[in-house]
Amino acid sequence: MHNVTHAGRLFVLISMIVVAGATHASPVLGAEQPASPPQQQDEFVPVDQLPPQDQLPAAPLLIAAYAFVLVALFAYVVSVARRLSTVQRELERLESDVKRSGRT
Amino acid sequence: MTMPKWFTPAAAICGLMFAASPLLIANAPYESTMGLVQKIFYYHMPAAMTFLISALVCGYASIRYLFGGNPRHDRLGYAAAELTVLFGIIALVTGPLWARKAWGVWWQWDVRLTSSLMGWMVAVAYLLLRKYGGPGSDKLAAGLALFGMANVPFIYISVNYWRTIHPTTSVVPTLPTSMGVPLWFALAAFLLLFVLLLRMRVILEAQRARLDALYLSLDA
Repeated sequence: MHNVTHAGRLFVLISMIVVAGATHASPVLGAEQPASPPQQQDEFVPVDQLPPQDQLPAAPLLIAAYAFVLVALFAYVVSVARRLSTVQRELERLESDVKRSGRT
Repeated sequence: MTMPKWFTPAAAICGLMFAASPLLIANAPYESTMGLVQKIFYYHMPAAMTFLISALVCGYASIRYLFGGNPRHDRLGYAAAELTVLFGIIALVTGPLWARKAWGVWWQWDVRLTSSLMGWMVAVAYLLLRKYGGPGSDKLAAGLALFGMANVPFIYISVNYWRTIHPTTSVVPTLPTSMGVPLWFALAAFLLLFVLLLRMRVILEAQRARLDALYLSLDA
């Protein structure tokens, strides 16, 4: 009986040591909670409160957008005008050729 | 076929409107969350609307051409397809420039952006078909334009029916006057430019048709 009690105490002691070691090693099992929220949660700040080196400047994007619109429209107008004048010239040349060949 | 009498005064008015619109846009107030970059909106939205209208005109002219066979409608469809590509690329470039700052990404595969890209690619396919398709490509391209036109209502309402990062169609009607005036002014300028360019482009196609007829008469 004495031996059984002694063995039981020994088993309880070993179990406590194992559990204590495990809880100390594993943060999941441990009851220890951080006093403050994790660092990642503190990282969310409004865009306009970012330090200047982290902010994306708006002006270059705005200028690029308006410049692209104006260049694209201007290039297209020039392209259509050039194509029109080329066809017009060819038409006039051909019409004069037709007239000349009709006379001869 | 020559330029109509109204063309030159209308072109002058359009030029003045495009010169004045940056002043109106500069005087418009900043949007509270996006700030300066939101001003891209004043050219982005009119370009996108003109892109959709142009695709509708192309589809309408193509239907008339497919069922009526009138070459005038074919010329109108061809001209509108080219303008769909022009205004589409403006909307597709200015949008990402705005999104980079407002959303933090250049592009998002959401339904509005993806369907707009598809509509633009249909117009590009129309032009490629006309250029390299050979005989009969006019009818094939007209058939393709119907898909481009069918895509337009989908592009427009997509933001109201699907979860998307893009603002819904209810934003524009609720704008304050200080922001609405520059927007509607820019839209009017874009629409007037669209009409002028469409007219120029149709005249170009008519002249090309005349040229082809002359060459044929010389060969005969």
